[in-house]
Amino acid sequence: MSQSIAIGCGSAYATDRLDWAVELADSGLVDFMCFDRLAERTLALAQIRRLNDETTGQDPFLPEITEAFAPFLARGGTMIGNFGAANPAAAADDVAAGLRKAGLEGIRIGVVYGDDVLDHVLDQDLELDELGTSARAIRDKIVSANAYIGAEPIVDLLEEGARFVLGGRIADPSLFVAPICWKLGWALDDWDRVARATVVAHLLECGTHSTGGNYTDPPYRELDLTRLGFPMAVVDEREAVITKLDGTGGAVDIGTQRTQLAYEVHDPAAYLTPDISADFSQVTLEQVGPDRVRVSGATGNPRPDTLKVLVGVDLGFKVISESSFGGPGCIERARSAADLVRVRLESLAAGIDDLRTDLIGVDSLFGDRMSGGEPVEVRLRIAARTHDKVTADAVAAEADHLWMGPNGAGGIFTRTVPAIGVTPAFLPRDDVKLRTEVIEA
Amino acid sequence: MTKLREIAYSRSGDKGDISNVCVFPYDDADYDRLRAALTVDVVREKYGALVTGDIVRYELPGTCGLNFVMYGALDGGVSISLRADPHGKSMQNLILDIDV
Repeated sequence: MSQSIAIGCGSAYATDRLDWAVELADSGLVDFMCFDRLAERTLALAQIRRLNDETTGQDPFLPEITEAFAPFLARGGTMIGNFGAANPAAAADDVAAGLRKAGLEGIRIGVVYGDDVLDHVLDQDLELDELGTSARAIRDKIVSANAYIGAEPIVDLLEEGARFVLGGRIADPSLFVAPICWKLGWALDDWDRVARATVVAHLLECGTHSTGGNYTDPPYRELDLTRLGFPMAVVDEREAVITKLDGTGGAVDIGTQRTQLAYEVHDPAAYLTPDISADFSQVTLEQVGPDRVRVSGATGNPRPDTLKVLVGVDLGFKVISESSFGGPGCIERARSAADLVRVRLESLAAGIDDLRTDLIGVDSLFGDRMSGGEPVEVRLRIAARTHDKVTADAVAAEADHLWMGPNGAGGIFTRTVPAIGVTPAFLPRDDVKLRTEVIEA
Repeated sequence: MTKLREIAYSRSGDKGDISNVCVFPYDDADYDRLRAALTVDVVREKYGALVTGDIVRYELPGTCGLNFVMYGALDGGVSISLRADPHGKSMQNLILDIDV
């Protein structure tokens, strides 16, 4: 008997909007909704929240998410997400409380533990190539280390009857690969089938980024962005079709799917996830109906022996300040303001790791690389990274003093935030000990 | 001269300090023209000091795409970078300014 799965995306980042995703879940068209809730630095910031209060660190939006998707769960739907962030146990408690409040006692919640490898990273003294140093050398500055979790433990939990699966750093595509392979009975070492699941996952995982977000560029391509549909897919043994809810904005077409296909992929012939080395280079896309694109041609090679780990590093503080200059001579006045601040900050040089000044409207994005003309106004941006708060406050004060700088500095705004760097490292797969648990709401 | 934007579209993504900028033609018949015009040297010249490391070009023949992987392109990556656009979401718009 041929099986199929209808699977939707519920979010692509921590603060993604809920209402359009709820619309898809409540449409009755999908049985599974998968939620990516973490960006590269989200988890490091969650770890810091947990350091300050050990009952926190999970997705702060879980209560409202559980409430919003309760009707979907009540109808028999299954939800999977990396809601655990830095604290999967606390997340599971939130979900259980939310389900009970919604009258959904008895739903099984599956939890994946073990992505937090901070102790191991410090013990093993990992190389941090992007920073040009090692974990040992900056041991006291490392605040987090989380390995990417693949589909395997999620499949185990679905097999145990879990209807709400959560974990920490579950890899974005693995959130979708697990239910596709589980529902269709595809083995996790059947590389071509896992590759087919992975390309579908990759086209879904970015939510409305896949249905028209970050795509419109008038007059060359224009879409209705006022009510973007979250993407969904119908997958069976024979084919996989990406689509979205009828009547929603955006588009599932060759253009939106192509840009998503290559998005954040490096070598298309070796797209590496915890589950597979997938080959997307020969993937083809075919428009088979309105907002319906068939994807085929993905093949797979065995999964990598190592797991990627994101290591969070406390790099002090970031100070960002902006001020506007307008009218004739605005660029010269903004440049003289930047020079003024640089001179004033010379005495603080020992505490400043990095400093840059840009003119927004002139050179802040591309330097002098883009062809362009003169603006009628510019905004000076001053950005500094400091290794202590005293220096950060002093930099902020100098930027603020531009009220008494060159003529007409308007709308001065300054903020200081912690600078948490995240940098990749790799651990042998066997060093990451994952464990699962099922609790009942 | 034609700007790339008139015949192609693009998207950029970030992983750490690496930016990937993909390009697809509106008309698949222009794929060979893109392959000829968008050499690594041309792209490197366009991005200049924005990219401090290697640029590698990959092809996606199934979808007529080119993918440029730029190392050291995000001033240390989103959480470290002091740039106005630390994710490099706008990196895609600079390649479209290339004359083809």
